[in-house]
Amino acid sequence: MAGMSAPDTDTPGLAARIGHGLARWSLVIGLLLLWDILARSGSFTPFMLPSPESVAQRIWRDASNGDLPINMGLTLYRALTGFLIAALLGVGTGLLITRSAAAAWFFDPIISVGFPMPKITFLPVIVLWLGFYDTAKISMVVFDAIFPAITGTIVGIRAVEKELLWSARNLGAKEREMLWQILLPAASPQIMTGLQVSLPIALIVAIVAEMLMGGYGIGGAMQQASSMADSRGVFAGIVEIAVVGWVLVKGMSLLRRRLLMWHPEAEAPSGV
Amino acid sequence: MSEITIEGVRHLYKPARGKPVLALDDVSLEIAPREFIALLGPSGCGKSTLLYMIGGFLPVETGSIRVNGKKVEGPGPERGIVFQHFALFPWKTVKQNVLYGLERQALQRGEREARAQTFIDMVGLSGFEDAYPSQLSGGMKQRAAIARTLAIDPRILLMDEPFGALDAQTRHLMQDELLGIWRRSPKTVIFVTHDVQEAVYLAGRVAVMSARPGKIMDIVDIGLDKSDPDLQRSKAFADKVDQLWRLVRDEAIKAQQGRRPL
Repeated sequence: MAGMSAPDTDTPGLAARIGHGLARWSLVIGLLLLWDILARSGSFTPFMLPSPESVAQRIWRDASNGDLPINMGLTLYRALTGFLIAALLGVGTGLLITRSAAAAWFFDPIISVGFPMPKITFLPVIVLWLGFYDTAKISMVVFDAIFPAITGTIVGIRAVEKELLWSARNLGAKEREMLWQILLPAASPQIMTGLQVSLPIALIVAIVAEMLMGGYGIGGAMQQASSMADSRGVFAGIVEIAVVGWVLVKGMSLLRRRLLMWHPEAEAPSGV
Repeated sequence: MSEITIEGVRHLYKPARGKPVLALDDVSLEIAPREFIALLGPSGCGKSTLLYMIGGFLPVETGSIRVNGKKVEGPGPERGIVFQHFALFPWKTVKQNVLYGLERQALQRGEREARAQTFIDMVGLSGFEDAYPSQLSGGMKQRAAIARTLAIDPRILLMDEPFGALDAQTRHLMQDELLGIWRRSPKTVIFVTHDVQEAVYLAGRVAVMSARPGKIMDIVDIGLDKSDPDLQRSKAFADKVDQLWRLVRDEAIKAQQGRRPL
């Protein structure tokens, strides 16, 4: 009988690890270098393409005078609040659809029509109904980020094997215990995958909504910078969004690895 | 007196699409307390369906199944089940899996823990208490599943081709261990298999089922001394296997022919 597979114990040397890390980030580093070279080449005016250095200085200035924390905080507040609402409503709706044929019948058309639709087309309606402030922006985020949460939950719950449910019943689980004790944990890898798609969508939509509706926030600040011909401000926004997006996606995949320690593919999909 | 009485059970399998299929037709069987009976038949003959009905997982629509005189109306902890693909809770460790059923019984915490450990030791998984199922081999997963089921102390053990997904050597070891466990704490075992050798090696009686619709064609008493270490090399064993194989062969061929492409 085979034993447990031993964990991989060879750790590569420090140099090898640094080399490995550099190789992995080579495209990102390459793009930054290319940006620097083009900015210095003289073929672009600093207005068209400000140098990475000047953009970094701008980010530092905004960070120290308090603009960046306020804008970033508001964008994150909108994106994450929207994401949490979308996650709760999405998993709830997904559960309802899998548990009741009537709910499936009722929700299927709205999901089939709504998922592929660009939700941003509803922005004018949302503005009419809810105005320009956080309620409107967060509603846009929820509206967009909810669909992957719903479909992830449906796929996960439908894939739970009947033997698993039967085993639980056989061992004495009551009907009302099945949801929390069996269905949700068994479906958690797919639910998590759905949420890993929802989170970047939430950030994207928060920023786009800010750009279109104005006000504070990274998107609003970029829009304002653009209208005032402040190209460093625009580029600073792009860099800030890239960093925040990376942190959120990484955080989510770390959370997945922690929550799904038991899962043989705990690390997938790190790229989403 | 028999422990399980199956009378005139029919089962119509209704797939989501297509015509309903008669899976079981007029099945009657009496099973005595502490006997080890095998349900043997070609794949698709409804033997697992019958087991699921005894377990209370599928409704009995025509006929009746009684356990100790009481009609089966749902699953119960006195009828423990072991599935071919283990059905362990993958998010729980071996120990947490074994504890799951015990937590639903009126036991003190210490008693629960001790009981779980006893059964983990019994199936030879000591040292793997905190391993997740995905870290175990197929044989170890089935050991864990068996420990989880035995821990709730069922009087009846329902086994659905439990060793069918294991490699040949592991299967042999597991068969011997199952016989050992059954001898130490006799339970009524209903063991579904399509492997003739396995049925003869393990069971005291073998109910041979026909191809779809599943009926019980014959019930064969094995009457071999299971404690004989050379049993599988004996003439008596070979004769029994041969006798059963003759019964099953034609049905297996029918079952194959019944599988036309849709």
